[in-house]
Amino acid sequence: MRRIFGYISLAFIFFILISVWTLKIDNSLGYSEFVSGGALFFIISFLFLFNIRKRLPFLPLWPAHKWFLLHTIMGFLALLLFWLHAGSLWPKGLYVQILASLFYLTTLSGIVGLIMEKIYPNLLTRIGLECIYERIPHDIAKIRKKSEKLILECTEKTGSDTLAKHYLETLGWFFQRPRFFINNIFGGRDSHNWIIQQCAILERFLNEAEREYMKQIFTLAEIKIKIDHHYSLQTMLKNWLLIHIPLAAAAMVMAVWHLIVIQVYFN
Amino acid sequence: MEENKFDHDKSSYERPNFPYKCGRGAMWRTPCFKGPKIDGSCGGTQDCEPFFKEGRWSCRRAKEFGGSCNEGPGPNGECSWQRPPCAPKKTLRSIRGQISFLTVATIIALLAGSLALNPEGRGLVSVSDAGPLSRSHEKFTETKGCSSCHSAHAQGPVAWIKAVFSQEDISVGCANCHSFSGSGSISHNNKDLIKDREVRKIECVICHREHNGERMNNLKLTGEQCNTCHKNKFDSFSKGHPEFPEKYPYFNRNSLKFDHSSHLNKHFENPKFSDKGPKSCMGCHQVTLSDREVRPQAFEMICVECHGSQIKKKELVLLRLPEFMQNYIDGDSLIQACNAPAQDKTEEEFLSVSTEIPALVSSFLLNVPEDDPETYEKPMQELILAMAEESILPVEDLLNSQTENPLADKLLLGMNPEVLKRAACSWGLNLEYEPPAEAKFGGWYADMLEVRYKPIGHRDPVAKSWVEFALAVSTAQDDEDKATRAIAMRDEVISDKEGVGGCVKCHAINETITKEGKKELEVEWKYKNVNNRPHSQYSHSSHIEIMGNNNSCSNCHILNSQADYMASFKSFDGTEWSSNFESIEKKTCMQCHVKSKINQDCQTCHVYHLNPRFKKKMFAVKKQIPEIQK
Repeated sequence: MRRIFGYISLAFIFFILISVWTLKIDNSLGYSEFVSGGALFFIISFLFLFNIRKRLPFLPLWPAHKWFLLHTIMGFLALLLFWLHAGSLWPKGLYVQILASLFYLTTLSGIVGLIMEKIYPNLLTRIGLECIYERIPHDIAKIRKKSEKLILECTEKTGSDTLAKHYLETLGWFFQRPRFFINNIFGGRDSHNWIIQQCAILERFLNEAEREYMKQIFTLAEIKIKIDHHYSLQTMLKNWLLIHIPLAAAAMVMAVWHLIVIQVYFN
Repeated sequence: MEENKFDHDKSSYERPNFPYKCGRGAMWRTPCFKGPKIDGSCGGTQDCEPFFKEGRWSCRRAKEFGGSCNEGPGPNGECSWQRPPCAPKKTLRSIRGQISFLTVATIIALLAGSLALNPEGRGLVSVSDAGPLSRSHEKFTETKGCSSCHSAHAQGPVAWIKAVFSQEDISVGCANCHSFSGSGSISHNNKDLIKDREVRKIECVICHREHNGERMNNLKLTGEQCNTCHKNKFDSFSKGHPEFPEKYPYFNRNSLKFDHSSHLNKHFENPKFSDKGPKSCMGCHQVTLSDREVRPQAFEMICVECHGSQIKKKELVLLRLPEFMQNYIDGDSLIQACNAPAQDKTEEEFLSVSTEIPALVSSFLLNVPEDDPETYEKPMQELILAMAEESILPVEDLLNSQTENPLADKLLLGMNPEVLKRAACSWGLNLEYEPPAEAKFGGWYADMLEVRYKPIGHRDPVAKSWVEFALAVSTAQDDEDKATRAIAMRDEVISDKEGVGGCVKCHAINETITKEGKKELEVEWKYKNVNNRPHSQYSHSSHIEIMGNNNSCSNCHILNSQADYMASFKSFDGTEWSSNFESIEKKTCMQCHVKSKINQDCQTCHVYHLNPRFKKKMFAVKKQIPEIQK
């Protein structure tokens, strides 16, 4: 925590220094936009490096969590520098407005991502199960296979197809793939309630032996619920970058274009 | 879940950083174990693969996918345990990369497309539009667009590259419309201010930043910005601003001689004139039109009651028949010219009808001494004869020969040639001229021994011309005697008491230096706005508005009864003078202009530019010629 506070303080001091510098330049009838713009471009470039760093995990370039911390702090610093550079919340001129839109959207997606990065890992821990995202299909397939095996065994041993019919009509849908995605994102318990309801409906029609199988199916369903939670939350954790990174890349392109235009038109 | 599922023989190694993964996982089936290969393919649909061991073919699979297969290979050698095909599927990272690439490509395409399709950058979609211009600049750039200021605009990539490596002074374009009394690239456009100093080159864009929309909000400078260049740095007007100089703000002599002290303390107090005098400063000064100065009202409004009649009393004597010792006039010529009856030629002793000396004007024109009849009588009599013969012409010639530009038309405006001829005829015959009636209404007239001009009233054009003529010839003589006579004539013409119309009683005369370095005297005919401090500004109206009409003048302008105001006008040097008023001190302004009260920014009182204005072409109206329908 102390380290985070240290980084934030450094960023804040950096911003204050740049602000004072630009003020001094303004007061001496200079072009402070070059200083604030230069600082902003430097910070944006640093933010961009994080993506490159992730592609080079073998290099000893600081651990990723530190990069992420710095990326977050620098992101907020970039927002402050952007306002300092533009002199307003919304600049004038089409291409600068496109640049501002991209910058704001990138920042907004970054903030949403940050919120998820802060909340979802706790939620994932609370699930009480660890899952590798890429293996979730495999895990679901395994659970489905087990449940189908239990249903077959139940039908064979008890001679009743009540559970099997019910599985085909309702539970099979659940085991097919991850379900209740939206509800899981917000930490809901719809999937759990649904399973309980489905089992409760059926329970009075089952005999003792079938109930034993039903319990085992329920246990598998509970694991599946946890995996579904993992799937939903991890999907969000991974997919917000599908918005953030392309927007950041586009903003970077526009920033470079802005640099070119400034060099050509105001050299 | 298995605890050891991450072991090498429990599960495959996940490579999310690869561009592809082989997947049935996408269909939520058991994921593929293999692939992708280097070429991106995943390799078949078989779950089990044939394996030859101990002379026998069997089917098998990896332990984590179930181990050995129950069923062996078929006759064709393939294992029968089939699964849906393992199609290569893009990883999330790869998708992210693709989306990023597409986004970047879209942006670049939009930029390139916009540049290609709309190189002029006009209309709504302009990828180099830095923002709308201020209203006035938008109007003047509508023809040439961005190229009005940015030369590289719409000139193609080569020009862009050149522009990057060369410096462009955008301010050059500003000079197409804006002009100042000095160079635009010099501080304050005023080279006098930067003498012997090293100052930075000024560009308009240092202060005036465009592309901020309709309002150009950078016309204001802060005190700190002024302090950038000024060596004498201070915080504000009340804190550190130097004291006002001596005589502030009365540095230059007034164009009109008006002694406030004598008028306020003497004349207006006099019961004879008190009813005519103004009740307050506003009685003479036009507050409603005040700005930097509060101009007095016209002569006809405020002075005429007391001084109107004095003008007509002050006449000019153009010619006077002087005393002659002998008569040199050819009698025959005179009789012929005047169409007079022939006179007997008797040898009587000549006795001049006049005992006067010549008028100073004629003495100057003929360049003869006015106190030596032997010297002046011959040329004077020749002039009289010439006037008898040609009336006004010889006088015109004499006047026109004194100056570079002929002035006789102005000087003799309204003169009746008949009157002049008759007077000359009378004088030639050594008689006094008897006018038919008294000259009541002013203008040129002859009376007994003189030709005189009586001003009609204020702004009399002939009187003005004579004052200007007298001043002009007094400084333009090379001959010493003539110069002395010119000065004598000038002193008479501009005399407070005797000068024609008494113009110079109120109008100051200033000595100026021409471009050629010659000294000239100039009458201040008009009330002059003193603008010798072009970088300062002051609005009387706003101050009067705040302080009220009653005491606002005397709050700052305190009468100095000790000052010898009128003595200042004895010389022609406008800089040496004593004002009627005490100098205004900084503390007077600080009654209000302090931190807690009224704005004390530099620009409240100071103007950066030197006489900023638009070039004439800005006001030119283009002639619209209607097309003729054929």
